[in-house]
Amino acid sequence: MAGFQSHHAPEDCINCEHRHLRMFCNLTPEALVDYDKIGMLMNHARGAKLFTEGDQARSVFVICEGQVKISATSREGKTMILKIAGPGDVMGLSAVLANVSHEVTAEAIEPCQVKTIRKQEFVDFLGRHGIASMHAAQSLSGEYLTVFHDAKRLALSGSAAGRLARLLLDWGSAAAPGKPETRFTMALTHEEIANMAGTSRETVTRLLNQFRRDQLIAIKGASMTIVKPDALERMTA
Amino acid sequence: MHAEPHTGQPESVAARPLAELLDCPPETAKLLNHSAESVSCEAGQIVFAQDAECKGLYVVVSGQLVRRSERMGAHLTLGPVRAGELVELAAALGGVHHSYTLRAVTPTTLLLLPKPALAQAFDSYPPLRMQLLEELAREVSRAYIASTVERKMPLRRNPGEAHSA
Repeated sequence: MAGFQSHHAPEDCINCEHRHLRMFCNLTPEALVDYDKIGMLMNHARGAKLFTEGDQARSVFVICEGQVKISATSREGKTMILKIAGPGDVMGLSAVLANVSHEVTAEAIEPCQVKTIRKQEFVDFLGRHGIASMHAAQSLSGEYLTVFHDAKRLALSGSAAGRLARLLLDWGSAAAPGKPETRFTMALTHEEIANMAGTSRETVTRLLNQFRRDQLIAIKGASMTIVKPDALERMTA
Repeated sequence: MHAEPHTGQPESVAARPLAELLDCPPETAKLLNHSAESVSCEAGQIVFAQDAECKGLYVVVSGQLVRRSERMGAHLTLGPVRAGELVELAAALGGVHHSYTLRAVTPTTLLLLPKPALAQAFDSYPPLRMQLLEELAREVSRAYIASTVERKMPLRRNPGEAHSA
């Protein structure tokens, strides 16, 4: 999740210095030229909804900069945050390819730059470029894993502390893969974190204070550093 | 948030028949048939384990299996798999490792379409990849629906919940 450095995305993907780090955009030069032709770079303010659950899926959205909250509504009417999507993530892909309405809502939690590609143009693009369809398959696999991972985090971690620890570790590893000390920007409120961890806002506030006192994490403003990932990992057992 | 509660789209995202998903010209079908490996399992046997390297796409010929997700000794049953279903499209098309464990509940026979053969088939008949990609998209949609509809855990718990560090 968080911790992505802020860089203004270039207008065209071929000159984007980040595309090699981002799975979907790392295409062949021919595919990138084509991708640039069909995609439109758009800026979204914090709080803007890119699409809403139940809306007809008309486009695919690839995040260039910023973070987007992906949420869904349960049958009981409760909003559940499923994921915080970041640069390189593709949104709306499953709904577009399955030809169904959006299963989730996507809302910018900070100013975002997003490449928007219309449904039919995107499907035709995948048909023209094998590498793009391979990357789309990888994106869908990642999405599939996210759903499983979310269910596992809630079902297999007995305590609120374990679930919160798992969430922080996931965000940390997404922000700085493979590094022993990870730092990321906490863009969510305690209420939203509570929603993801299946607990209350009060418990999140109490546990974050506890983690900080135990020097498992360090918090400075909106920046969080995981100081002792091993200790957090043990908590998730 | 003003969205209506999730009603699900079970009909539109239902798995398509195998014949439709693997529909391809005779030469591509021949390639897949020749490379397919038969896998037989007794009840209780593991077909593949979570995090193991994915060898390819599985087609259930007969029997019943169950998907299980595991972590540190605990496990979560994700649902049954029956004859005629494709298994692990996500890992076969886009991933490297299995995202869950597949265990036979009854004596089971599966066909394994190895990844290299699938890649060859995609080269010889590119629409096949799109057919399977669309099915993977439907599978993701089904997973979203299952996760939002079946998530029974209360979202707010007792603020006094113990810190189990």
